[in-house]
Amino acid sequence: METAIAVRDLRKSFKGHLSIGRHPVLRGVDLTVPRGVIYGFLGPNGAGKTTTLKILTGLLFPDGGTVSLLGRPLGDPQARARLGFLPEAPYFYDYLTGQELLSFLGSLFGLDRRTLEERSGALLSAVGLEGKGGLQLRKYSKGMLQRIGLAQALLNDPDLVVLDEPMSGLDPVGRREIRDLILDLKAQGKTVFFSSHILADAEAICDAVAILMAGKVVREGPLDALLGSEVRFWDVTLRAPEGFSPPPEAAVLARQGSQVLLRVEREEALQVLLDRARAQGASIRAVAPQKFSLEDLFLAEIPKEEAP
Amino acid sequence: MSRRSLPGLFSNQVWAIAKNTFRESVRSRVFYILLAFAVSLLVFSYVLGFLAAGVIRKMVLDVGLSTIAYFSALTAIFVGIGLVYQEVEKKTIYNILSKPVSRTRFILGRYLGLLLVLLVNLAAMVAVLSAVLFFVEGFTSRILAAASCIFLELMVLTAVAVFFSSVASPVVSALCTAAFYVIGHTSSALPELLLPAVESPLARKVILALYHLLPDLNLLSINNLVAHDIPVAPGFYPKAVAYTLLLVGLLLVASALSFERRDLV
Repeated sequence: METAIAVRDLRKSFKGHLSIGRHPVLRGVDLTVPRGVIYGFLGPNGAGKTTTLKILTGLLFPDGGTVSLLGRPLGDPQARARLGFLPEAPYFYDYLTGQELLSFLGSLFGLDRRTLEERSGALLSAVGLEGKGGLQLRKYSKGMLQRIGLAQALLNDPDLVVLDEPMSGLDPVGRREIRDLILDLKAQGKTVFFSSHILADAEAICDAVAILMAGKVVREGPLDALLGSEVRFWDVTLRAPEGFSPPPEAAVLARQGSQVLLRVEREEALQVLLDRARAQGASIRAVAPQKFSLEDLFLAEIPKEEAP
Repeated sequence: MSRRSLPGLFSNQVWAIAKNTFRESVRSRVFYILLAFAVSLLVFSYVLGFLAAGVIRKMVLDVGLSTIAYFSALTAIFVGIGLVYQEVEKKTIYNILSKPVSRTRFILGRYLGLLLVLLVNLAAMVAVLSAVLFFVEGFTSRILAAASCIFLELMVLTAVAVFFSSVASPVVSALCTAAFYVIGHTSSALPELLLPAVESPLARKVILALYHLLPDLNLLSINNLVAHDIPVAPGFYPKAVAYTLLLVGLLLVASALSFERRDLV
């Protein structure tokens, strides 16, 4: 499969306090992002996600390593012309209206006036800002700024869209809308590479992820392969009569009045529990199979990196 | 979609950034406050002219052209020092440089945008001075010549401000640009004052070398000549334009080089 982004041994450090020494932020990042996928770049705050994205978009220069975007080397204007970028918590010229901002930034791609007008109008409605294009950006809410940021990232109809924390600061409705928009971009055949520390959002839409910890990618691959499809355990909620005794394979997690929450790790144990519950007159309220989540994967990586 | 070839984008991108810089300035209240203050002073030169009976025209021209020169310089320094720095500080530059725009084009666009602001500013002040002069003794086209020379100086000053803005904070930039302005207007006094007092040929060479190393903005000014009705020396204008282009070229190349590999943290 063709790659949209290929990063090898990417290194970056910044000057330390009072310009003494250097503080490494990226310590040899490797990434392979196939074309046409939604790719989540995950990691805790300070892991180096934004630094990586800034290198990809030409705002920072790496100390070492190689980067290829859409098959072209870093800094190639042809690659940049096919890239859309939404910075983290984007800042815009607040004296411009939304429409003026899109016209200005679109003209940097060499779009003519007519194309710009058509595209701006379509994008404003695509991001839910229809009718708000004439409003000055200083009057936009944080959510609206995030939306206009996304609109400007799509002005050139890019093949690769790089988004830095696109869901950050948005309410649940806004997050849902951005998620739908990202899915729509994928449906159009675009590659979406986004950083996030909101794991639920990433798990909901990503085809593949990489987890960055302290400047190194510790896990990378398709989400299915990383999480697996097997059920890890089942959580069973019962309304049980007084004196109900669960089988030894079932762990009681919580008990509130007649409501009992239990966990079993094997399918046979689940059957035993359900049979016993029925036999003792308990009503089965819920049986929830639990798979390995991105959060589990993420949390599992943290101690390894924090260990000396 | 209509896309132009990347080399053909050069002028479009520079023009788009310049236009946005212009829009940024004319939507700022500070711009109008400075302009209103300058226009008030120009009108006041009319009153001063009456106080100096007999030399009204000279007085109006002298005070008027000086007011235009100082306020234009003030605007160039005041706006210029934040021209690049603020884009980086406010992170608005991320949206521009992540597109296929080179940093050199960005610097050039910002520079030309501010020049456009200064040109409009200058035109407004020249119009007011011309109107004042019209009421005194009639319009003289020499105002336009003087204004053109003021604009040459503004081209240099803006390039200085852009250079410092791309490497330093606004406070440092303001101090350095102001220092350049003061040195530029006093450096010609260096040989005039020191050479008659020095006899050593080596010392004289050092003084002259020092003078040639320092900028001389008086080489671009004809305000005094216009106010006193003294003709401008033949060959002055080509030399002034060449000197301006040399300084602006050096400063913009230095700005672009220092900004080209800078990390935008």
